[in-house]
Amino acid sequence: MEALRLYLKLIRISMQARMQYRADFITGMIGVIVLNVVNLGLIGILVSRFTHLNGWTIWEMVFLYCLWILGHGIYSLFFWHIRTLEDYLVQGTFDQFLLRPVSPFILFLGREVQYLGVADLFFGVSGASLAYTALGLRWDWVKWMFFGLAIVSGTLIETTLALMIACIAFWTGRSRRVNSLVMQLNVMVQHYPVDIFGYTFRVIVTGLIPVAFMNYYPALMLLDKLDRNSEWWWLGYMSPAVALLLVGVAAGVWRLALSRYASSGG
Amino acid sequence: MKIFWSFARQAFHNAAVYRFEFWMRFVSIFLTMYSIHWVWRTLYTQRPGAFGVSLEQMVTYGLLGMALEAFLDVGPEWYMAMQVRSGAIDTDLMKPLDFHVYMLAMSTGEMLFNLGVLSVPALVMGHYLFNLQLPPNVSTGLLFGISLVFGYLVLFHLGFLLGSLVLVTLDIRSISWAYYSLVSFFAGQMVPLWLFPQFLRALAEVLPFKSVYYIPMSIYIGTLAGESALQAIGFQVIWAVLLVLVSRWAWRQVHARLIVQGG
Repeated sequence: MEALRLYLKLIRISMQARMQYRADFITGMIGVIVLNVVNLGLIGILVSRFTHLNGWTIWEMVFLYCLWILGHGIYSLFFWHIRTLEDYLVQGTFDQFLLRPVSPFILFLGREVQYLGVADLFFGVSGASLAYTALGLRWDWVKWMFFGLAIVSGTLIETTLALMIACIAFWTGRSRRVNSLVMQLNVMVQHYPVDIFGYTFRVIVTGLIPVAFMNYYPALMLLDKLDRNSEWWWLGYMSPAVALLLVGVAAGVWRLALSRYASSGG
Repeated sequence: MKIFWSFARQAFHNAAVYRFEFWMRFVSIFLTMYSIHWVWRTLYTQRPGAFGVSLEQMVTYGLLGMALEAFLDVGPEWYMAMQVRSGAIDTDLMKPLDFHVYMLAMSTGEMLFNLGVLSVPALVMGHYLFNLQLPPNVSTGLLFGISLVFGYLVLFHLGFLLGSLVLVTLDIRSISWAYYSLVSFFAGQMVPLWLFPQFLRALAEVLPFKSVYYIPMSIYIGTLAGESALQAIGFQVIWAVLLVLVSRWAWRQVHARLIVQGG
């Protein structure tokens, strides 16, 4: 609880620092929204010309895209700066987090907020609502609960993956490029249903770098696309479990990384 | 010409230092090619020969779009923004070389380097892994090459104009997202113009962006041939000349009111 209070306080300070740059804020929001509209526009043109993509109609694709961006929006709002960890390590400024009598993790997390996540969330909520109406969905409370859980799981999956990759820098000094690579996988999963890709790719994004659990598998469940005859149908419910597992692993990696930290003496 | 080579050599030295960076870029090109290949394969299984274009042609178009980006887009706007932010732009302005020519030389050097180490290997990979077709004959290949040169000139000058704008507004990061997505959309980098709905197509046909990807790539796969290919190249030439003139004019305006920070 103490940690949470501290975190919220740090976040408030970071937010105030951010709000000094109003113009940047507005162009940034517009940039993010244009980017997403164009992305969805391209997908929309393709899918509408061919009526569907491997059984996914245009609004199901919009839902898939927006489910991803909702989880990602929360991630980019609060955890985006995890990828900048290497800068602290290289410049030796990481020491400041270790000198205080509270968790260095909380101090690092509270360091920044990335306001652009707001644009992602705005886009995700609008897109998902439009898709919900267009698809004529009628969810009971179980599905609504699962929808919320899926979003939070998405955030946790992306955050823990980002954290583990950032920890590579404790050993090598650099990690950001690996992060961009995982981001690339992420973008593929965000844009297209995983079932159009080859077997190896599906195994990678399910078992190795499980980004497919951010949107694809929960979307199967939420859109009633689960194939009960397939022996893998239960993956549609697994996002929260995958997220919890990753949190455990990431916490271990973080602790291990901290224990071998040697300051570069900035 | 000598000056282009010396810049290409410089780019080579920079890249040799960041070898890991290079491999990551290459893997990333592989992934985009992989995904575009599967998207078209899936769509064409549903509807073979859609819009009078074969699957091989369509996959080739998609893969080219990914491989060409690696060398066409050298992004002079980033260099300009960085130099202004750090104040180092005054050293660029002191050089005994026109700034526009200097930027063009530097970008072209980098472009040649990226062509050699990223795009050509990516095309070879695309050919063997994803069935990227060769151009049907030599003259098509030649027209494609000519068209690419003008595509590059158009994209460079669009970037230069954006860079000049950035010198005034002092912020590029957020503008660039909107800029890149709009360019790649209207250039038909991923989805060709013939699939666009009517009004978007009409708009895309008159804007300069289609010079960058759509025209060269359509010439390559043969959907633009003979008379219409030449017309398309004429369109590129007109836009290239126009953009050179506008760029030079815009740079003169910006130069006059340039504020150098510290430095």
